Amino acid sequence: MTLRETKSKKEVIEALHGVAAEMHDKMLKGKPPAMTLPVRTKKNIQFDKKLQVYKYGKNKSTRDATALSSARVLLRSLHITEFIEEMINSGKSSTLREMYYISEGWGNGKFGTQNESNNLAEDLEIVTKCIREDFKLRPEEDGARIIGNVTFEEKNRKGEWMRINCRDDVGDSGYGVPYNVESEKLRLVDQDIDFVMAVETGGMFDRLVENGFDEEARCAIIHLKGQPARSTRRIMKRMSDEWKKPILVFADCDPWSFRIFASIAYGAIKTAHISEYLATNEAIYLGITADDILAYDLPSDDLTKSDLGALESELSDPRFATGWWKEQINLMQEIGKKAEQQSLAKYGLDFVTDTYLPEKLAALGLNY
Amino acid sequence: MNKAEEISSKQKQIAVSEFFEKNKHFLGFDSLQRSIITAVKESVDNSLDACEEARILPNIRVELNKEKGDRIEFITQDNGPGIPRNAIEDVFGKFLLGSRFHAIRQTRGQQGIGITGVVMYSQLTTGSKTRVISKIKGESSAVFVELGLDTRKNKALKTGERRDVWLDEDTGEEIKQGLRIRTIMKGKYQKGKQSVHQYLRMTSIVNPHASISLIVRDKDGNLIDQGNWPRTTERLPRVVSEIKPHPHGIHLGTLQRMLRESNERKMTSFLRHNFSGVSMRAAREILIKAKVDEGREPKRIKADDAQEMLNAFQRVKLLSPPMDCLSPIDDLLIKKGLSKAIDSRFASTVTRNPSVSQGNPFQIEVGLVFGGDLSADGPIEVLRFANRVPLMYQQGGCLLTKALESVDWKRYGLDHPGGRGVPKGPAALLIHLASTNVQFTSEAKEAVAENEEVHEEIRKALLEVGRGLKNHLKKSSQRKKAKEKFELVNIILPEIAKKSSEILGRPEPNLAPVITQIMNAVFCEEILGWDKERKIATCSIKIYNYTARARAYTILAKWPENENTIMVDNHRGGRKEAKGIWAWRLDTLNPGTCTVVEFGVSGLTKGDWVDTDIFFRGNGEIIGATKIDESLLDEIRKSEALILAEEEIEKESSNLEPLIDRAEENIHRDLSETVMKSKEGQLSLSEWEVE
Repeated sequence: MTLRETKSKKEVIEALHGVAAEMHDKMLKGKPPAMTLPVRTKKNIQFDKKLQVYKYGKNKSTRDATALSSARVLLRSLHITEFIEEMINSGKSSTLREMYYISEGWGNGKFGTQNESNNLAEDLEIVTKCIREDFKLRPEEDGARIIGNVTFEEKNRKGEWMRINCRDDVGDSGYGVPYNVESEKLRLVDQDIDFVMAVETGGMFDRLVENGFDEEARCAIIHLKGQPARSTRRIMKRMSDEWKKPILVFADCDPWSFRIFASIAYGAIKTAHISEYLATNEAIYLGITADDILAYDLPSDDLTKSDLGALESELSDPRFATGWWKEQINLMQEIGKKAEQQSLAKYGLDFVTDTYLPEKLAALGLNY
Repeated sequence: MNKAEEISSKQKQIAVSEFFEKNKHFLGFDSLQRSIITAVKESVDNSLDACEEARILPNIRVELNKEKGDRIEFITQDNGPGIPRNAIEDVFGKFLLGSRFHAIRQTRGQQGIGITGVVMYSQLTTGSKTRVISKIKGESSAVFVELGLDTRKNKALKTGERRDVWLDEDTGEEIKQGLRIRTIMKGKYQKGKQSVHQYLRMTSIVNPHASISLIVRDKDGNLIDQGNWPRTTERLPRVVSEIKPHPHGIHLGTLQRMLRESNERKMTSFLRHNFSGVSMRAAREILIKAKVDEGREPKRIKADDAQEMLNAFQRVKLLSPPMDCLSPIDDLLIKKGLSKAIDSRFASTVTRNPSVSQGNPFQIEVGLVFGGDLSADGPIEVLRFANRVPLMYQQGGCLLTKALESVDWKRYGLDHPGGRGVPKGPAALLIHLASTNVQFTSEAKEAVAENEEVHEEIRKALLEVGRGLKNHLKKSSQRKKAKEKFELVNIILPEIAKKSSEILGRPEPNLAPVITQIMNAVFCEEILGWDKERKIATCSIKIYNYTARARAYTILAKWPENENTIMVDNHRGGRKEAKGIWAWRLDTLNPGTCTVVEFGVSGLTKGDWVDTDIFFRGNGEIIGATKIDESLLDEIRKSEALILAEEEIEKESSNLEPLIDRAEENIHRDLSETVMKSKEGQLSLSEWEVE
């Protein structure tokens, strides 16, 4: 799964035409036009034991033109198909938001909300087995920031490969990960690190940077910005696969942060069709754990009703089916508390880099 | 004046102002906000009553100008008959002027102490006199007079009286008739649910024959609030006749007074002449049961015997009192009034038949509006009225509210959490109780007291409008679905065909079989319109067959049939099935085809007819129409026949009046049985079409 084979223009267009052909064929038979795709809900997500990631199950749904809303979606897919074909032929790309605005000119095929256009773009990925990079569609979401002694080559707008070292060639905000991190756009060239540290919050990222943790601990620090974008997950996957470096996730101790980890390690429901490209199965949850709240006596908040509900559903989630996770979740339910990464500041600004992380890393055998 | 006289006059003076002071919460003058509402209310009610009696379409103007402090200049003006010069003092200067106290008929009723309260309140709070201008039609000049109250003698003090031509302030034209009152009082003008604005708005809803306007200015003369509610009908409320009391509603004291004042020589004639609903046979029966000899002189009846008679009244079968003492608003006018005041999508109104409780005739009217600009969150607006007077306070303790709360509104499409309290949703509900004797919970006359029969009548009326609402909601969701399907097959599907063909470079497919497969139903769509030039309400019913089979149907439509309306432009013919229901037999409707039924109705005004129901007879469902229930159609026909028969009997019975009591009585008994039967069979359309 390391390097995805890039599809040719012809292959992408043919795949999209397949969608239009399904509709046209149905109409020729006197039946309502339709589009068949997997059910994209939690119920139809299965844990693929071989790939160790989340994938869509066998449930298919048929979106046919017997209801107005589905008929509109079909019409929109045809407009998108036409739009993508034009972009591919003219060598352009657009953001999902731009496509949403361009759809203003599509009459009855225009989108009601941007969410609709985003979802439909994903549907088309699934049906055609292409990815949105093939469609020349870019997300709005920001990619991650990276700081550390790693070197990438990125193809710039002039089509030239640019060499960037994420310690020496960047400022305090680090290297901004582009939306497309496939090999035609980004190469992983060189590194001198022992591991990759993915950090949930911006405040903690900045704290580690300010304290020079990347050099001290010989790591690359990645800011996840909450639920990580596709390109962030993809670049972590590539660093893990191509450099064979451990990916450590450092997040808040609450059920939602656990889900961030799960999406990094096993994939997310929305992107289950490409989980094998995005999920880093080897990723390790470093902290903050429920144990840590007790061991370090961290300032904590009570779990809310929705927190407790989230914990409960995680207990039945195949991604948390290990003994270690069950223990952590049970403990958290028991103490009824959650804590933020930045609660470590209780013991001073340097506590996290001087005491907490060294101790946690040592437990994993990563001494420095 | 000697000391004793001085003391006694002082006492009197204290007594009258103290009476006012002590009872001001009853009289509606207990707070600054409420005082101004009460003043407007007294004045407007008087104007409406006066205009109604004089058969004048009222134009009423209310003007409030804030002055410094809490002072407000209060002006009201109407185009009523005016007050004769020598009656002005009595009308404005006497407490409890009781002209209405003995007559039994529906009146707006004396709320508090009438306009005298306004004069009193102004004088007590600001020392201001009340300036009155009264012009009677045909007189050459108007009376101008300033009034105060002599609290010692409980009468008005007139000053500065003169006669002059009364000119309109705005136009300068002479005013031919009317009454203008101006005074200054303490008060606080506020907007909101309990305000002058709301009071006048509500008043205009139940008095659709009145034009009412409001102007409010701040102390710098800037307009801060205004309202304008023009009349929606030229039809005055019907003249109500006075009736005699009914034995079921009489108290011992009243009975004794009537006996005392009676001139009859025999008890039988006393009973028959002074009460309604008492026939000769009933009179005799009462006297036998009360062990009172029928030859006795009423004047000599003692309290014990009077009590016996009172008991006997309850044990003897009596006729209902006549109902022409009531003046309902009429459901079409309520609909108009509500639509004028509230922008909404749907209105359903019900005027129940009159009914009796404890010898008092009463009648319930209910109107419900839904959708449109009405706010969807929070409880619905409840508009309560007793004898056309808005009730604005004590909503929770009022029978009208309790009856409203007793309905399970969830069944009718309103949000009703826990089935308790006032339901929620984008709706407003009007409840009008018309009665010769409205019982209030207190002297404040803001909440109607408990009464089982009235409660039940309100409930029935509410269920009826509720069914109307439920039907409307079902219909609009059906209509929405049908509209979506039309858009789907007529617009989106052809575009899908075109676009996919373009992308693939293939010829476009034939969509006819696809459309049949998608729709697979017969659709019906009705459009009501208004032909401005010809003043005709139009109705167009389109039926589309989107199935693979040919269909044959009879289409039935509900239309507002009454003595004023005529069906026109009905080129298809068809036939009348029942009152207000017309039927057309359609030719076979082939797959993929469409046909139209059109007709018009003359004799209506714009906005009278905004909602109809379409039914069908035949195999296979029609989306947008309801399969007609033949057994209920039969019932409608039967009840119609009964009403006709009843009218016949009524005619006869009026001819038979001079005949002997026994014959009269028998006819009445037959009649009342007929009435009972017709009441049971009187299922309205909206009632059965839902089930």
